[in-house]
Amino acid sequence: MQFSPNEQQRQIIESLQTLLSRHAGRERALQFARTPGYDHELDAALGQAGFLDISQASETGGLDAALAGFETARTAAVTCFTASALVSPNVTGHVSDLRVALAEAPVTQPIRLGGYCEMLLVLNDDEALTLDTTPDDWTTVDTNRAGFPLARLRPGAITRARSLGPGSGARLRDWWRVEIAVQAAGLMKGALDLTVDFLRDRRQFGRPIGSFQAVQHRLGRLAVMVEGARWLAFEAAYRDARPDLAATAAAFAAGGADTMFRECHQLHGAIGFTRDFPLHVWSIRLLQLQQELGGVSRHRRDAAQLTFLNPEVLAAAVTPAV
Amino acid sequence: MEFDWTDEDAAYRAELRAYIRKMLPKGWRGYDQTDRPAYKTAARAFAQGMAEHGWLTQNWPKEYGGAECSAWRQAILGEELTPIGEPRGSQYMNVNWIGPAIMRFGTEEQKLNHLRRIAAGDVFWCQGFSEPDAGSDLASLRTRAVRDGDDYVVNGSKIWTSHVGIADFCILLVRTGEPDSRARGITVLIVPMGQPGFTTRHINSLAGDESHYELFFDEMRIPVSARLGEENQGWEVVRWALAYERVGSTQYQRAAVQLAEAAEIAIANGKFDDPEIQSRFGEAWAACQAARLLTLKVYDLREAGSPPTADSNLSRLISTDCLKMVAQLSADVLGLEALDRKGPGIDPIRNASMAVASGTSEIQLDRIAIDFLGLPRSK
Repeated sequence: MQFSPNEQQRQIIESLQTLLSRHAGRERALQFARTPGYDHELDAALGQAGFLDISQASETGGLDAALAGFETARTAAVTCFTASALVSPNVTGHVSDLRVALAEAPVTQPIRLGGYCEMLLVLNDDEALTLDTTPDDWTTVDTNRAGFPLARLRPGAITRARSLGPGSGARLRDWWRVEIAVQAAGLMKGALDLTVDFLRDRRQFGRPIGSFQAVQHRLGRLAVMVEGARWLAFEAAYRDARPDLAATAAAFAAGGADTMFRECHQLHGAIGFTRDFPLHVWSIRLLQLQQELGGVSRHRRDAAQLTFLNPEVLAAAVTPAV
Repeated sequence: MEFDWTDEDAAYRAELRAYIRKMLPKGWRGYDQTDRPAYKTAARAFAQGMAEHGWLTQNWPKEYGGAECSAWRQAILGEELTPIGEPRGSQYMNVNWIGPAIMRFGTEEQKLNHLRRIAAGDVFWCQGFSEPDAGSDLASLRTRAVRDGDDYVVNGSKIWTSHVGIADFCILLVRTGEPDSRARGITVLIVPMGQPGFTTRHINSLAGDESHYELFFDEMRIPVSARLGEENQGWEVVRWALAYERVGSTQYQRAAVQLAEAAEIAIANGKFDDPEIQSRFGEAWAACQAARLLTLKVYDLREAGSPPTADSNLSRLISTDCLKMVAQLSADVLGLEALDRKGPGIDPIRNASMAVASGTSEIQLDRIAIDFLGLPRSK
């Protein structure tokens, strides 16, 4: 049991943070919100630095990819990185440099970053499907330039999908849940950092708003939410997306997403509802993530079933009654 | 970063579980604390048995009766013993923070007198911290200790002290500085129970028969040699103590075990099939698991030799939130049956009271805001 990163993980985090300081950040996030598009420059930098291979690079590759995904999500970068580097290799069994997006059959819902992906992984009950896609397969969804760019798959395109075989669906569901947890934790952290920075500086009644206890306590609860989401996501990734842990991590992270959205906006006041202020880039993504893969209630019910109806999982988690 | 227990730690846990099964009767849920002599005898026997195996103070230095293992052994002890009603009785406090505080701040004589006894499972302590006018604002405490030769003369009172009925010693916070010296004028004394001038009064508590006492000090004389740490430097001891205390009894695991029991009932009575109830079980379980990780992170910091951080406040806040959430869910599963004290329901009052003990949730939030988030102070 060790919560601090090992030497290799420390190097991964440091070099990724350096890379992100050059290719991502609040200004860049706002730029992409003003002029929607995909951050190919960031993707190229991540690829060149070897981050796309991260999940296969060592024994703790799943966790390492989750750590990298968290750092990337924190910056609200417009990239398929977490789906490509965390989910795809663990479902398909191999690393590729394709931009990957995630969907659930019958693929009628808008899909996060769908219009920019080259491969779509589709959860179809107990099997995962792969679909190579081109921009022609997609119609853009009008999101009012807020949150993740969304796109809808054109009817008929799904017929080209190939199955990865029975049982592959469970693997996709579990890693997708870890990805949701990692993304949500990173976005929450980014939104909270913005909010804390703002409330340290913004003065009303002659003092920083962040010095009022009524405000501090609300931020304190958000901090607990972010930290809990982060560590649950990392543990689930470390344990190879074990189904109960993946559902638990997604339940906690997605379950807190709307609270984080509401609280950060409320604590910002009117400025938070403007396009010039970057909060919306983080906050609206949280609301979108919350709806993926059946939403919060499904994560929670699956977490409950996978724990309380599974004697082996339960016995390992709690002291048996005397 | 890794989330596995070592083989040695897992083996320790397995041995502990076997010992618990051997020592405690089936269906045991905790001591009947109204029968103090029986409680004390049984808790002492349990702890002494553990001490004989060397399990009580595994992470202590060898010279004080430990085995120099990692701090993780403390986490395992807590995870196994807190949820089942803490068969060590109040001795868990000794091992968690009183012993470490004596190791860090005590004189050689104090170490000699107390640490071996604690390691042997032979002694019960209580803590005299809160006062009628110094609860959340602990640094405003007024119980006064005045030097008189080689003694301190203590006058004042304490309140909300647990385990008084069985304790052998009290670790007492007193004011030795000026009345307005706040944290700069507090001293810690080690006081034997029954010292002349020291009386106690039981408080009828909703949270359990032996939950709370008042302590009164009337011209009580305590030798200066019983002081823990330097005069007026007691706040540093308190900071250490509270950081250890907040994670010492693993409340997340108590909540998780209670939740598992409520789930068993819900599965049996069909409520688990209700999607809304099932969703709430998932929500509560996720919160308990987040609380587990945030608490284990504090042990990790302790193992790394870190001074106290606000991580212990995050741990305490979410753990006590879990206890409240689980009690409500248990009530919704059982209906009015939940109010039968001899039934399987979880006591919502006791669970709610945990969010007041060891610093209220509001104090935890204050610390998180200032120390964890770096927000400006309110004054």
